[in-house]
Amino acid sequence: MDSRRIELEASHWLARREAGAWSQADASALEQWLARSTAHRVAFLRLAAAWEQGGRLQALGAGIPTGTIPPRGSWSWSGPAASADPPAPAAAATGQSGHDWSQLRFASRPQSHRSHRAAWTGWLAALVLATGVALAWRHQASPAAVPALAYATAIGRIQQIALNDGSRATLGSGSGLTVALRPDERHLELHGGEAFFEVAKDPARPFVVAAANHDVVAVGTRFSVRRNGTALRIVVTEGTVRLQPDPDRSQQPGPTTLLPAGSVATVSDNGNVLVRSLPLAEASRLLDWRQGYLSFRDSTLQAAVEEFNRYNQRPLVIGDAVAGAVRIGGSFHWSNEEAFVRVLERGFPIRAERLPDRVVLHSR
Amino acid sequence: MAGMGSASVGCMQASLDDWFISEILVHEAALSNYLRRCWPQRSELHDLRQEVYVRIYEAAGKTRPTQPRAFLFATARHLMSDRLRRARVVSIEAVGDFDALNVLIDEVSPERWCGGRQTLKRLAESFDRLPDRCRQVIWLRRVEEFSQKEVAMHLGISEKTVEKHTAKGMRLLAGHFHGSTTVAPTAPVREAALPHGQDQDGQQAD
Repeated sequence: MDSRRIELEASHWLARREAGAWSQADASALEQWLARSTAHRVAFLRLAAAWEQGGRLQALGAGIPTGTIPPRGSWSWSGPAASADPPAPAAAATGQSGHDWSQLRFASRPQSHRSHRAAWTGWLAALVLATGVALAWRHQASPAAVPALAYATAIGRIQQIALNDGSRATLGSGSGLTVALRPDERHLELHGGEAFFEVAKDPARPFVVAAANHDVVAVGTRFSVRRNGTALRIVVTEGTVRLQPDPDRSQQPGPTTLLPAGSVATVSDNGNVLVRSLPLAEASRLLDWRQGYLSFRDSTLQAAVEEFNRYNQRPLVIGDAVAGAVRIGGSFHWSNEEAFVRVLERGFPIRAERLPDRVVLHSR
Repeated sequence: MAGMGSASVGCMQASLDDWFISEILVHEAALSNYLRRCWPQRSELHDLRQEVYVRIYEAAGKTRPTQPRAFLFATARHLMSDRLRRARVVSIEAVGDFDALNVLIDEVSPERWCGGRQTLKRLAESFDRLPDRCRQVIWLRRVEEFSQKEVAMHLGISEKTVEKHTAKGMRLLAGHFHGSTTVAPTAPVREAALPHGQDQDGQQAD
């Protein structure tokens, strides 16, 4: 068998198939070539398998300008805590040197073959594949930046993350989080969605979660941050966190608030902060999503539906105001939307209209 | 098979391919090391490995082996014995130590695709080992998803050349990713140091 020649042919077939202009006639010709000999089929399969995995390389492209090819060795694999580099000079805020993660975007490409796309931006699709990648982008002109790790989840998925300082994060459905554990500060950024944090005690380094125009600062606690554009919800279940506006990002000065365990703080789009103090059990119920279900106690259907829609691709829609005002209670698996709808139909004055792309809930 | 629609046959094909990738190709590094230690002719290693794969693929198409890894190494042993028997002139080096054929199996451990960080790291290292032009083409095609035409324009080369580099990159990436290509030889190198772009099978990557 001339395996070298066969591999050469197989690689040309694969290159042509991946080039984009691939007709039915081409596909038949390839199938004929594959059928001629098992050696052809196996050689092709082997190349295709590696090429398929090669898609993960897209994770390395995050933040790099289109058409720029990074030099060899641009990637470092040491964990962020192991880095002895000096902290990046406020790179995230000013975007001068190092990696400005807030600018991470993929330009959308018309002929993309990627079949899985995360809910809201192109770069998250690549990062879902690359959980735990540390990138140190070494630029010739600027000092080495602190490596940052980025995590993202698709709708309906949650992810547990162990951080190098001993803290843990649980990333909610359709969420994005960047982690940079610097020597002076453990800095995280919530790009969207919700995340729950169990913070390991480290008095030398505050744990700062930056979300929209605010920072949530903790020393050793458990809390969650939810972000919807510039609106936030913070739930604290252990310890105390400090909620403060970020001077670089927020336009107007706002209050700094201390939130003890049991606090549920909401920050509205215009920066107003409202704090409720709940019994711990009730505050914890707001975080049941981590265990896979949503708990409601005397909630309006409107509010419950908004919650459910964060975890499911097919939205529930309130058909009329009366339906929206119905009060419901109970715990439901957020992954089982149909079961929720059936409970509504049986236990409440609700009639469901099931359409291909949504379910409309009407009052009965 | 009589009576089966083409869709069912397609399904069976796809599952055999998937099985082959996850249960056989995953052991390529171990298999390559094994063959290299047992078969002194470097120039024949590529052929040998591919023939092992062909035998496995055809056998698995009839009956799926319950112990894929053991089956893989057993097939490799049988193939090497067959080749030795068929050779008209048996060179002294080729006969070697038949016991060695059995001893080495437990020693070599497979590198599983654990996914995530490890896989990405291997891929990045494989990617960095590509020759310059090839690396540029692969980056633009695979990461940026430029079309072949866009790559050609961006780099100032012909589309045909882009396709050649893509094909070459696919072969080299497969070698590094599956594990048949290693950076430093584990055994003492008797021949001259391998020039850039050659794999352990002793042949020029074209």
